[in-house]
Amino acid sequence: MAGSGTAHMRNTTDVVLSVRDLVVEFRVGQGRVVKAVSGVSFDVCKGETLAIVGESGCGKTTLGKAVLQLPPPKSGEVVFEGTDLTQLPKENLRSARTSMQMIFQDPISSLDPRMTVSRLIEEPLEIWDRGNQQERAERINTLLNNVGLEPELVLSRRSYEFSGGQCQRISIARALALDPRMLICDEPVSALDVSIQAQILNLLQDMKDRYGLTMIFISHDLAVVKAVSNRVMVMYLGKVCEVAPPDVLYAKPAHHYTKALLDSVPIPDPTRQATVALLQGEPPSPMNPPSGCRFRTRCPAASALCVEQEPQLREVAPGQFVACHHPIL
Amino acid sequence: MRKFTIPTWFSISWLGLMFFFTIFGWLLPFKSWTTVFEDDLGVAPFSAGHLFGTDTNGYDLLASVVSGTRMSIFIAITAVGLGGLIGSVLGITAAFLRGKVDTVMVTLFNVGLSVPNLVLALALVSVLATNLDINQAVPTWRRVMVLIIALTIVIIPILGRIARGATLSWSNREFVTAARSMGMRDRNIIIRHIVPNVLPALIAVGFLAIGVVIIAEAALSILGVGIPDGASWGGMIARGRNDLEYAPHVLYVPLVFLALTVISTNHLGDVIRSGLDRRESKV
Amino acid sequence: MTTIMSIRDLNVSFDTPRGMLEAVRGVDLEIEAGTSIGIVGESGSGKTVMSRAAMGLLQGRNVRRTGTVVYDGQELTAMTREQVRNTFGTGMAMIFQDPMTALNPVRRIGSQLSEGLRVRLGLSKKAASARSKELLDLVHIPDAQAMLHKFPYQLSGGMRQRVMIAIAIACKPKLLFADEPTTALDVTVQAQILQLLRELRQELDMSMVLVTHDLGVVAGNTDSVAVMYAGEVVEYATTKKLFAGMRMPYTEALLQSIPKVDHPSGKRLSVIAGRLPDPIDRGAGCSFAPRCQYVQAKCHTEHPPLEADPDGHLFRCWFPIGGAK
Repeated sequence: MAGSGTAHMRNTTDVVLSVRDLVVEFRVGQGRVVKAVSGVSFDVCKGETLAIVGESGCGKTTLGKAVLQLPPPKSGEVVFEGTDLTQLPKENLRSARTSMQMIFQDPISSLDPRMTVSRLIEEPLEIWDRGNQQERAERINTLLNNVGLEPELVLSRRSYEFSGGQCQRISIARALALDPRMLICDEPVSALDVSIQAQILNLLQDMKDRYGLTMIFISHDLAVVKAVSNRVMVMYLGKVCEVAPPDVLYAKPAHHYTKALLDSVPIPDPTRQATVALLQGEPPSPMNPPSGCRFRTRCPAASALCVEQEPQLREVAPGQFVACHHPIL
Repeated sequence: MRKFTIPTWFSISWLGLMFFFTIFGWLLPFKSWTTVFEDDLGVAPFSAGHLFGTDTNGYDLLASVVSGTRMSIFIAITAVGLGGLIGSVLGITAAFLRGKVDTVMVTLFNVGLSVPNLVLALALVSVLATNLDINQAVPTWRRVMVLIIALTIVIIPILGRIARGATLSWSNREFVTAARSMGMRDRNIIIRHIVPNVLPALIAVGFLAIGVVIIAEAALSILGVGIPDGASWGGMIARGRNDLEYAPHVLYVPLVFLALTVISTNHLGDVIRSGLDRRESKV
Repeated sequence: MTTIMSIRDLNVSFDTPRGMLEAVRGVDLEIEAGTSIGIVGESGSGKTVMSRAAMGLLQGRNVRRTGTVVYDGQELTAMTREQVRNTFGTGMAMIFQDPMTALNPVRRIGSQLSEGLRVRLGLSKKAASARSKELLDLVHIPDAQAMLHKFPYQLSGGMRQRVMIAIAIACKPKLLFADEPTTALDVTVQAQILQLLRELRQELDMSMVLVTHDLGVVAGNTDSVAVMYAGEVVEYATTKKLFAGMRMPYTEALLQSIPKVDHPSGKRLSVIAGRLPDPIDRGAGCSFAPRCQYVQAKCHTEHPPLEADPDGHLFRCWFPIGGAK
């Protein structure tokens, strides 16, 4: 896995976002470079939810932010509704960003603790000067109702007075304030209790239907994205491993890494515990990634070929693309 | 509302009194502190007509100390206000922009901090506030100006570094990224999200800085480069030094005022700081 | 089997400006030597407070604790602070959710590890250092010698948790409290850490209390499970019996709300509507009644007791799933 290629890119008019050969690198001092995202391509069709799954440090969050040009990628193109965001001048980019909004992992840190809920949600409207005082107030009320919060009870309170789940609802209301067409959710439920996760996942699904959104859903947990995604992309160390519709990917993972991720999900049934060998160790440093296939150092099927040659994404079953020399078939 | 402890109440009351003296001191029904009471030379405190007594020149100490309060507090607040303003603008900008601007600014702050406060102020005052012709006195207003400038320069790196550190930690929060993804301009992000969060920390340290400035100003006066004519607490202490043997209270009155003020500002700084920590631990 | 810890009628409340907050209400638990017990509940269910109180770690003017905790034949509440402290490490040990804040950021891993060994076991500097390396090997940290000289910030979350575990087991404790040990970790690392804990329990013959909000984590890693809700134990059974047939509607709802890999894609997840009752002002009836899908009139007015069925499966419900008692 951990390969490049564009075999999975679709060529239909439905494509809203198309990312090609995106590279994001960070300098971390002393001349060292973290290769966070190394040549990733993907596309998202209108009304679709693409899940991006991988361990910490695989570059999934960086990828999500790079789509919004926060910060801009080193190379590659990000074409959103026909416009390449990487080529836009600063001022145009600022307005282009409003049609794509992001939900962050830490619901508490993503809200300014000094601002009341009503100020938080009004802020984006204010920046873009949308509506008058009364229209804004109505809009805030509608948004809060839609995310399942009582406006009268929450408007004048501040973020630290709420639980994580409630903060995430506020974040969602705020992200929707500018009528975005795309929502990028970065681990929106991983900081929440299991019992709250389902509520937020359902809410995101409802909002997607109500506002006709296209979504990118980033997570480290395959179980979380199962219910909400139409397509799943598995990443490892800045590269794509596998892309497939969820039903195919979960039933017949073709990449060894996808299989390991699936096996790691705890099963709430003591009679069905995983007996297979777990993925050992941790991902290598993104400053000095392995040659060839980046997953080879932890892969049970690694061969000499994997050291020399980087696998390219290819279709192994209808709609299922995998970057592996020795896929599970 | 939290309940205040007795020391906090005392600090607030004392500083309130000092502010009152600073702003309305000239309205109080005292004769000018330069009035010489020739019949009452060096009388002890609590004498008739002289609550704090007089010094050996016959100056009334109550009138003197109120006047000294005005000068000391005025200098301290102006220097901390100006230094805080300049320092936080520099610190916040540096932290927000990062890169070379930040490196240069940090170096400047460190250079400023590495020179002892007093030496720096002393050097600035002696260069800026002396006349080539030693027979011609430097006007008091110029001395005050120079003193304020010197102390402001001392304060800039102290508060600048605090502002920079706080900005660094706050600008890593996701709400700043969130604001940017909503299309907010950097300038507005700083004004709306960074400054309000950095300000409480700056105010807390600002209180401590007022103490630093008051002491530095007094020290400069004692060294002879402060305000001439004993118009500030430091000036009074400098003048009272000579009377230590005959009329020690001349020294004690400004010392007590100075000490209580510095203790009060330090205490309030701590109270604000710990209130802040409590709030931030929730965030 | 011998009982290593026995908790009887434990109550913990906090004096808050709004009134008494009853965090733990009448909890009874027995922990057998060599077994692992799971404490499951949402944030605010009292599971963390309960485990801290059981370890004697709750102190402060606004804390009220009643009931008894007997550890290894000794009443913890009757012990002095010094005596409680002495049971830590060799008797009880703890690992936390966030290994970054639990480790001292300015001290090297080696010195943090050997501290307990030198103080509690009286090892020499050299012996402690050698033992530290063995401990890091035991928790499968590669290149243990180099790790001794690193600082916590140089480690990944999974490695830090391994170091925390090494510190916790350094003095061979008999009972390990693991408070959400994998919540902050990736699923792959979570699986590794859970496997490590299973291994270590066998190797060191150690009992474990696993506190978590995730029923999935509990399933393969415990012998019995206590489900907590609103400060009370609402269901208790061996892990096998619990998952074979849940009696308490809350446990069932909790299980159903977990996102699963075999969930049909595109289908809505089931949720537990509403939220936990106000811990200061709880109603008269069953605490779960306002959120329960099987609720009946009696549930709102009478508080159900913790009852057992013939199998020893305990539940706190007037109308349990699977019929009457």
